[in-house]
Parts: sequence; C-alpha cells; structure tokens
Amino acid sequence: MKERLYHLKNLTQVYGDRTVLDVDRLDIQIGTITGLIGPNGSGKSTLMRILALLEKPAAGQITFQGQPLTKVPLDLRRQVTMLSQEPYLLKRSVQANVSYGLKLRGISDTRQQVSRALEKVGLDPKRFAQRSWRELSGGEAQRVALAARLVLKPQVLLLDEPTASVDRETSGLIRHAALDARNRWGTTLIIISHQLTWLRQIADRILSMDYGRLTPVH
Amino acid sequence: MDYILSGLIQAFELLFQGNPETYSAVKTTVFASSLSVGASMLIGAPLGFCLGYARFPGARPIRVVVDTMLSLPTVVIGLLCYAFMSHRGPLGDLGLLFTIPGMAIGQTILGLPIVVALTASAVENLDHRLKQTLLTLGAEPHQLLLTSLWEARFALALAGAAAYGRIVSEVGISMMIGGNIKWHTRTITTAIAMETGKGQFAVGIALGLILITLALLVNLAMSGLKRLSGQ
Repeated sequence: MKERLYHLKNLTQVYGDRTVLDVDRLDIQIGTITGLIGPNGSGKSTLMRILALLEKPAAGQITFQGQPLTKVPLDLRRQVTMLSQEPYLLKRSVQANVSYGLKLRGISDTRQQVSRALEKVGLDPKRFAQRSWRELSGGEAQRVALAARLVLKPQVLLLDEPTASVDRETSGLIRHAALDARNRWGTTLIIISHQLTWLRQIADRILSMDYGRLTPVH
Repeated sequence: MDYILSGLIQAFELLFQGNPETYSAVKTTVFASSLSVGASMLIGAPLGFCLGYARFPGARPIRVVVDTMLSLPTVVIGLLCYAFMSHRGPLGDLGLLFTIPGMAIGQTILGLPIVVALTASAVENLDHRLKQTLLTLGAEPHQLLLTSLWEARFALALAGAAAYGRIVSEVGISMMIGGNIKWHTRTITTAIAMETGKGQFAVGIALGLILITLALLVNLAMSGLKRLSGQ
C-alpha cells in the first residue's frame, strides 16, 4: 500500500451562493496518476487549485503529507506545481522562463537542467533556449510551460487539460514526459482531460466529476 | 512672414554654431527634468504598484485624487512650491528657491501622479494568470511583487516617458521656482517665453526646435514601448 499524499474529507467550495465542489472523501497516494474527467464547470479546475494549495476550501478537511492545508510550509508547498489549460509565460526568453522556478529556490547555474527539461518536452535547447516568449506557437508555449514545471522535479504535478490545444505528436510527448516524471522521481500526477482514451493510456485510476461530486470511472 | 523665416534661419545658425546661452538652457532643462523624472519613478512606481495590486479600504478615493492630480495646472504647483520654499515658508531655510533642485521638486510633484496612475493601471491590467503561475512555481510574496513589477516593465517605462514629456514642456514651475536666471535656472520653455516677449524670435525658434526634437524622441520611445508591451 502506497503512502497517502492527499486526504480530503467533506470538502466543499462555494463561490457566492453556489456550491462548486462537494467531495465526501478523496485519498491520493504517492506516485500514482489520477485522471479527472467531467463537463465544463463541474468543479475540476477548482479541485485542482485546492490541491495546488492556491485556494482554500470553504469547509472540510484537507491534508497534504499529513499536514493541514493552512500549515503547509513553503518548502513543502514548493513540491507542488500546476500547469493550467492556458499557461502564462513570463515576458522573457525560454531559458529564463524554464529556469524561473529554480532561481526562486536559489539555484543559479541552471543551463544544463533547462536543456534537459526542454529535451523532455521535445524542444531542441539550441533552437529554443534563447527564443523570446513572443516567438513561440501555442503548442510550443504549452511545452515550455511544462518544461518549467518538470525542471523542478516536483513531488506533485497537476495538469489541467494539458492536451487541449496541442497536436497529436505533442500530446504523445506530454504523456511520455508525465510518465517519465512518475517513473524517475516518483512524481504524483493529477490530470484533467476531456480525452478519455488519452487518459486511459496514462492514469492508474480515473475519476469523473459532475456538479462538484466525484465518482470513479471503470 | 519674413521675420518668421529669418528667425528660423537664425535659429539654425545658433544651433549649429553652438550658441552657449542656448545650450545652457538645454543643459538646465535636461538636468532638471531628468532629476524630477528619476524622483517621480522612485516614489511613484512603488505607490502605483500598491494602488493597482493591493485591495484595501480607501483605494478608490485615493485613485480619484491621483487621477484629479493628473490635470493639476503647473502654475498652481509653482505657487504652492513657492509658498513652501520662500523665506517665509516652512522650507525657506533650505534655500531651494531659484535653484535647480527646487525646480526638480516642483516638477516631481507634476510627474508623480502620472507615474502613480499609469503604474496602477499597468498593474491592474497584468494578466490574471500571472499570480497563479508565480505561486505555483514557488514564489514567496516579495518574489511575487518583484516579478509582477518586472512583467509590467514596459508599461513602467511608458509611465516614465509620459512623465518626462509633461515635465520637459512645462513652463509654470520653472518660471516661478527657478526664476528664469540666465546661466543658472533658465530652461528651454522659460527662455522661449522670455525671448518671444523681447521679440527675439531666432532664439525662441531655436529652442522650440530642440523642444520639439525632445518631444519627438519621447514620443518615439513611447510608441516603441507600447509595441513592446503589446498594447
């Protein structure tokens, strides 16, 4: 039995007078890949933001590595990173974008790590590292943003619709990079996708979300 | 028409022969306006950032005051500064009246609302995904602030250029606080006003040409910055 990373119990999130999330119980084990499907507005992204420690729930219990959400220290918070559906790139070069998280952690010599991360997402460092953010296509920007997360070797990687606006080849690269992260560093992944077939190729289990409630998909 | 044409010809002669009086006014203008733009940016950028980024009670009334100050007449600023800096005023002992630092203080008051308002707007208009991206990459609060400010750098430079354009072309503060003293506090604008009053169009036109060139450079810088910031 793998160790428990997240534990959610009776968790609700409310925006205005609308309950957008109502999770009775959810446990996520270390090193697993959890897929999340569901219609737009069903609460998937809200759940991801809570798991990314970016948002506090209105009520309920959530622990990360046994610690309540409110008491998660910075070094633990830095083990969790999320890639949103439309990732934002800093107005800098690709190299500066990918190395940003490392620099926040006080790592100054980042060139090799950045090169390796770019290679993982199928971008040639020699061609792309010095490019400006404005010289990238949508798919390339998505891959650079993923490289910026992978370079951190995160313990938790949350991917919100990572294949929504990319071609088939990039979709395959993202799947490969995600699996590689799990196999090499034991990264726990939670992935939202509308592509059930793609999700089945990668996830250990798939959950469906509708009206803020979770049900397993068999 | 002849006197305008001959004024224009004389103006070019003054400029190309390096007339010391003309270039003294140019030097004073560039020095005083650079000092005041620097001070406006140093004080105004952090204030504008707080106003645009933080949500606190009273932010809206402060914004209204700042926006109102954008149209503050230069002679009113000159009058207030004069009252404070004259011998009877609270800052009289500092001897700022009829000095370049005194003029720069007045011009800083002129440029400050421009920098604060434009910085606040730039920060408000930052992409909403930026904060989430920085947090998820592990930014601490101070790193969040610094990176956000850096992301708004083109808009900040634009604010500086706009403030420079306003400051370099003002006459009220320079005249009232500087006193238009030859070789000392005479600026391009005060010299134009004085020379025109004396009927010396050549010097006036020569200085006017330099002022237009400066304004053109500022505008070119602004349009370049606007392009860079994606506006």
